[in-house]
Amino acid sequence: MFKKILAATIAMTAISAQALDAPIVGNVESKCVVTLDRQGVYGNPSASVLSTDSIDGGVQPVIRYDVVIANAYKAVITHPSSFSQSPALTDTIAWTGSTEVEAVSDAQMSAYDTSKIEYDSTTEIDLEYTGSTWFKVSSEADYGISKALPGGTYTAIVQANCIAI
Amino acid sequence: MENLLPQQAGLQVNTVLYKYSTIKNPEDPLLVTIQNENAVDGGYIFRETDDWTGLPGNSIFKVVGVGGQPIEYWGNGEIIWEGVGDVVDPSVIYTYQYDTCFDPQTDPSCPGYKVEIPDIPSVETVDPLDDTIIQDEIDREMTMRDEDEEERERKDMEQKEDDEEEVDLETVLGIVERSLQNAQDTAKHNQVMALNQFSNLYYQQIPDTVYRETIQLKDATMPRNNRGRSLLIAQDVLHNKLVKSQFKGER
Repeated sequence: MFKKILAATIAMTAISAQALDAPIVGNVESKCVVTLDRQGVYGNPSASVLSTDSIDGGVQPVIRYDVVIANAYKAVITHPSSFSQSPALTDTIAWTGSTEVEAVSDAQMSAYDTSKIEYDSTTEIDLEYTGSTWFKVSSEADYGISKALPGGTYTAIVQANCIAI
Repeated sequence: MENLLPQQAGLQVNTVLYKYSTIKNPEDPLLVTIQNENAVDGGYIFRETDDWTGLPGNSIFKVVGVGGQPIEYWGNGEIIWEGVGDVVDPSVIYTYQYDTCFDPQTDPSCPGYKVEIPDIPSVETVDPLDDTIIQDEIDREMTMRDEDEEERERKDMEQKEDDEEEVDLETVLGIVERSLQNAQDTAKHNQVMALNQFSNLYYQQIPDTVYRETIQLKDATMPRNNRGRSLLIAQDVLHNKLVKSQFKGER
């Protein structure tokens, strides 16, 4: 019995000596970083309207894109088209919004406003220059036909993605 | 830049952050330059130009690394633009760092600090006694003191001489007077003796005889003198009467 166990141990040792796992590890750091620079706030200028416009008492959210490689990414920003949190609503909401360049780290990025592509609630901008670009997003919700919004907390989401081209 | 950056030895500027907004039409040319003069070598130590030509106006926020340029190189800064358009809300921020112990002598806690031994300036000592005016004054006072002392000694000497002269004169006068007295006494004595009116007893020598005490009183009991006491009491009574009679007479 003892002899059999010893033989098995030797055999296992021989097998582990012959096999080797050589892992290759690589870390990829993102070359496009999206950061929320300013939190948005809805103002309530009338009973049926929520707006991020400063005239309406709101604050437009600002999203910053930091790009290390030029012509490698595009910014895809979608302004809200629904509330993620709200009281129970019984009527429809008309959503409007836009995405504009707030500030740039390179004057050439100022052309993003003219070269952007807009469809539905989404704005796509090819990030052609390295550096940082600040995009401001406006959003407005009109409830029903001038119908008063029920009291409560309303939250809407702006989706900002950096997609490799 | 003296009023912008802290004037710390060893300060280095690492980054320049600037932002501004342009107001322009997209088709208009506009060049905006942010620059700092090189205070040491001339020219510019920092210069960044943004070309907004053909672009819509916007806000720019730019971070430019300058790689730790020493503070002494940073001259006056400015934002200039040329073209059509305007630049508003400009802001330039310099980030810097400095080693508080760049000069170890600024703080005793810094490594390498050496206790400085101050150079003690050699002060040429001026002896006021060397001053000619003071020396003259001292000489004058010394001269006056010497003169006073001489005067005092002279007066003391004169006084002493006067005293001695007076003593001698008195002595002489005393001797003379005594001699004269003796002479007078002798002359008067001779005159009296010439009268020859003295008895022989006058000329008799009295023998030098000692008279001893011969009576010795023995201690004895002295008897009481009652009579004398009565007389004393009577005198007292009489005295009191006389005194009281004076007061009675006044009334």
